[in-house]
Amino acid sequence: MGDVWVDTAIEQSYYQQIFDSITDYEVIRLDIDGGIRSWPEGARRMSQFSAEEVLGKPVTTLFADEAAARGRIREELRAAIETGRCETEGWRVRKDGSQFWASAVIAPITGADGSSVGFVQVARDVTERQEQEFALRGTEQMLDAITDYAVIRLDHDGIVRSWSPGAHALAQYSAAETTGRHVSMLYTDDDRQTGLPERMMTAAVRDGRYETEGWRVRKDGSRFWANVILSPIRDLGGGVVGFVEVTRDLTERRDQEQLVQRQRDEILELSTPVIQVWDKVLVLPVIGTLDSKRASRLTEGLLERISLDQAEVVIVDVSGVPAIDTDVAQHLLKTVEAARLMGATSILSGVRPETAQAIVHLGIELGTLRSRNTLKDALQLALRLLGTAVVDEQVAVHA
Amino acid sequence: MREPVPMMRMGDNVLVTLLGDLDDRTVEEIEQRVTVEVARTQARGALIDVSGLAVVDSFVARVIARLVAMIRLLGAEATIVGIQPAVAITLVELGVPMRHVHTALNAQQGMLRLRETQSHGVGHLD
Repeated sequence: MGDVWVDTAIEQSYYQQIFDSITDYEVIRLDIDGGIRSWPEGARRMSQFSAEEVLGKPVTTLFADEAAARGRIREELRAAIETGRCETEGWRVRKDGSQFWASAVIAPITGADGSSVGFVQVARDVTERQEQEFALRGTEQMLDAITDYAVIRLDHDGIVRSWSPGAHALAQYSAAETTGRHVSMLYTDDDRQTGLPERMMTAAVRDGRYETEGWRVRKDGSRFWANVILSPIRDLGGGVVGFVEVTRDLTERRDQEQLVQRQRDEILELSTPVIQVWDKVLVLPVIGTLDSKRASRLTEGLLERISLDQAEVVIVDVSGVPAIDTDVAQHLLKTVEAARLMGATSILSGVRPETAQAIVHLGIELGTLRSRNTLKDALQLALRLLGTAVVDEQVAVHA
Repeated sequence: MREPVPMMRMGDNVLVTLLGDLDDRTVEEIEQRVTVEVARTQARGALIDVSGLAVVDSFVARVIARLVAMIRLLGAEATIVGIQPAVAITLVELGVPMRHVHTALNAQQGMLRLRETQSHGVGHLD
């Protein structure tokens, strides 16, 4: 740059015009001590100072923190002389006191004898870029701060390109161990063989997002139940350039859910017990309200026990049922009929007065179903049926 | 399926075992063989063992009901034995009319019932 400074008046006026036409940059000449020697239009626009206000003043007056800039500028000018160029950034101040982040290049101007006679400083307002960088760094730090989630960036082919500390904590692999490798290393053998990672990526591209749950494998070979959200990253043209995979460990929640389910099953089991009270005699105490799920469970449980114990008589005790509606009655009748098809006779017991009224009012046909007031009576009948099965059976069928 | 229907004579009674998948052809063969056998032996009762049928659809249910009707027309008493829990539920849910079909837990029980009925001199129950 030094040899363009030819000392002729005409050349100088040309260059002056060039500088004046540069309005997005501040291109100024400094003397050897850092004093401002030229102040073109671009400089005025950037910091709003007029030429009269700054010409002859040290360049440090342009900085937000003038005292700190003084030592720094001296260093930078020396570095510019030694290396031919110095790049620097810093907060600058405008005339109205507002600040902007400037990126500058300082280069020495060499005189005829080869010694430095001054500097040219080209500065640009990069506040916006600076803010973007801060924002980006902030995002990165935010991602790094999320340790309960693994945040992984994949490229278009599923190769790991970034690996968050959360991913490290979750899958035990360090960033160095995963970056550059295919994401399928975190999947089970089965999932890898069936091409699950690829299918997930295809679905994510198609639907804009793909969420799933499944087993993933840690470095030590142990598994965890993961909730995974896969989203495609697109460039400005809409082309898919990669994916973000956010993974959460749900092993504990899954265990709890399964525990709850197990307990629910157990309660259901407990709520529909079948008791063998005598050889070939079962009692089915129906307690509480019967919803359809409980009712079918009750039927299945009873039939299995009939088959298992080869029971011939079943006493269905309804003294614990608060109210019998059509659905419950129909269900009990179906159960009785199914039991009969298997070869077992049913006896109803514990019908309350209001239940008896309800059954008749609802017009429910009980058919040949026998009923006894108490469980004791029902058991006596059961034993009589077993002892003299033929007589009663005939009566029942003809009834 | 061309395998013969397993059939066994037990005193005055005939034991028929239904097995595997039943198609139209097999059903026809079963009906023919059972009716001929009951008539020929002048059996007083027939046990139809369905414990080998794990699943029953409405078609099979109708087959069973038809078989029972044919046996009765021949003057014998029919009892179905060995209905599995899942089959019982299916039959009830399908609403197959089985009200008047006699059932028993197993072949032994069924045979006992038939003998008791016969010794009391009761023929048709309907």
